[in-house]
Amino acid sequence: MRTSRTAIVLCAVLAAACKKSNQTEGAPSGGTAPAGQTSAAAPAPGGDAIRIGATLPLTGAESRIGGFYKEGYDLAFEEATKNGGVDVGGKKMPVQLTLLDDTSTQATAASLADRLINSDKVHFLLGTYATNLVEAQSVVAEQNQIPYVNGGGAATAIYKRGYKWVFGLLAPVELLAEAIMKWVDAQQQAGKLPKPATIALLWENTSHGKDFRKGVTEFANKGGNYKIVVDESFELNGKDFSALLGKVKAANADMFLADAHLPDYITMQRQYVTAGMCHKIQSYGARGSEKQAAEALTPKNVQYIVSAVWWSSLLADKNPEAKRFVDLFKAKYGGRAPEWYQALGYETARALFVAITQAGSLDREAIRAKLAGLKIPSLLPGGELTFPAEFGQQSHAPFVAQQNLPDGTSPIIAPPDAATGKGVAPNPGCAK
Amino acid sequence: MRHFKRVVGLKLSRIVELIINSVLLAGLYATMAYGLGLIYGVLRIVNLAHGGVIMAGAYAGWYLHELGVDPYLSLVPVGVASFFLGVVMYRGLVYRLPRGAAGGVQSLLLLFGLWLILRNIAYLLFTGNDQTLRTGYSTKAVTLAGELVSVNRMAVFAVAILILIILHILLTQTYVGKAIRAVAQNPDSCTLVGIRVERIYSLTFGLGTALAAIAGLLGATLFPFNPGFGSSELLKSFVVVVLGGLGSVAGTAIAALILAVAEVFPTAIPGFPTYLTAAVGFVLLVLVLVLRPGGLFGQRVLG
Repeated sequence: MRTSRTAIVLCAVLAAACKKSNQTEGAPSGGTAPAGQTSAAAPAPGGDAIRIGATLPLTGAESRIGGFYKEGYDLAFEEATKNGGVDVGGKKMPVQLTLLDDTSTQATAASLADRLINSDKVHFLLGTYATNLVEAQSVVAEQNQIPYVNGGGAATAIYKRGYKWVFGLLAPVELLAEAIMKWVDAQQQAGKLPKPATIALLWENTSHGKDFRKGVTEFANKGGNYKIVVDESFELNGKDFSALLGKVKAANADMFLADAHLPDYITMQRQYVTAGMCHKIQSYGARGSEKQAAEALTPKNVQYIVSAVWWSSLLADKNPEAKRFVDLFKAKYGGRAPEWYQALGYETARALFVAITQAGSLDREAIRAKLAGLKIPSLLPGGELTFPAEFGQQSHAPFVAQQNLPDGTSPIIAPPDAATGKGVAPNPGCAK
Repeated sequence: MRHFKRVVGLKLSRIVELIINSVLLAGLYATMAYGLGLIYGVLRIVNLAHGGVIMAGAYAGWYLHELGVDPYLSLVPVGVASFFLGVVMYRGLVYRLPRGAAGGVQSLLLLFGLWLILRNIAYLLFTGNDQTLRTGYSTKAVTLAGELVSVNRMAVFAVAILILIILHILLTQTYVGKAIRAVAQNPDSCTLVGIRVERIYSLTFGLGTALAAIAGLLGATLFPFNPGFGSSELLKSFVVVVLGGLGSVAGTAIAALILAVAEVFPTAIPGFPTYLTAAVGFVLLVLVLVLRPGGLFGQRVLG
């Protein structure tokens, strides 16, 4: 009996600990948002500077990426300061960023957003990183009717709630899957892949994974040229994928498409290689071109993996906005090339600055309206940033697909207008 | 029944593959759980810092690997160092707690706090970046019963068996082992016959901590890790220890196999949502706690 009681107490404590440590992309949470502030948007508080609040996961499980976003924010604010501030109705006003650490937890992200709005009296909010944190924080922004621009939440669930004050720069993961499938389709049309081609599809059991699955299945079901023979999910931060990979191996599919975060990608690919598996096309969604993965798995074991990302520094070759950003970033950070995280951080802040300038005032409603109608040249693929109302004010900028090649490079292989190299299909390694 | 027939209808090669996967996974689970089971068996304390020590073991192995030491050669220094860490943890903290039922909740809170401290120290030292331990054999495989099997996973399994044998010999053939078992049964009587109970307690806590660190190091050879590493490993360890019967080393090994089989085989059932395999262990945990609170192999003392 004592054992049972101890076990029950222990389970409760462990569940709390795991909730803290496992940064899954969970359900929306807005429990800490203040109630009763649903009146029409109040005029922004006065003052000589534009006060912008933000939180980022600077510690905790997402701290690495939180640090990348901070670099993007810092660069955008530094640039604005160098230009004498942001133009508001013909007058340059300095911009101040109040940046807090949300410790990678939903509750902290939501409560700090509340603090920024109601205690620090910021005029506007920039978003944090990771879908689960943005989901929690966006509720607070909406309830307080303050413009909230984020570059860290991609799940369509955030934008399907009819929110008016929330704007997202990350295009949905469905488009990521579509970008990969479009390139695959071009290879099939060119006769490089069988028709119909069979797909083994694995996806992490998160909103990210579900969106990926939706993108692949919708594309596959359109023309009858693809048949999904394995469709399985797995738990985020899984440790043993061997049984699941055994199922994939038994299915003998032409393509292996998975959606995974970096640790799961490394674990799964290690087990995939060990099991002697090879597919004509292989992808882990947004993962693949990371230097860290190549180091963990050796470059040989990540060859020909196709990935799709929201942005690549290779876009600088064809997109002047991307080139300007890459040059600025390299100048500030000692020649290091930026990843998509810094680019999205920078562009998020810049989008807000542009909307403030276009509105010509610090009135929240005026800026919300300008963000809703925003259409500006952008460093994003496609070269333009908008927040379409039909998609809940979530950007639908296209993704760029990349492929790891034996020479260690990962050129952009699609879309054609952004391509910096040619992709290879089917994987020549499978013939060996 | 329909699902059972579907499983039975699998190709023999697929069944062999599932069995191999289950056995290898069981080796990892058993390694993770030995330390937790040992400490509970003797001290009647659930060591919540176990997860933190697993994480620390992973980082220790990674650090030594950065210095050029093979992870399997690191097992000894990491084990010895964490043994002393465990002794210090016991002498400095656990020793001061009330004994018996009165100290149950306090020990949970204290060791949970210690886990959080270890985790945050790791965040400060190593940031939240995922780290990996890559060796020349990380992706090597050998053919076993017609299936390609990872050399690294077989090595982890071998270490799990080795630990089981060493623990068995220690607990049944040596004076110290017999003293540990005696203290687990009745500490008051041990005092009467001249066994220094506190010394046995600190020795056991050190041994359990060393086993946790070794498990972390072995885990690091298989998976990427960060300071949050150890949470799910602690949960699995807890499930294994409760299934096996708190305090039973052999039961721990068998329970690890049961858990692994329960997680691996359902993936072969068509239509089974595979993300639920993570929940299988907890369903087993609830069933055991309700139907057989002493564990599948009874409430036994060590050995």
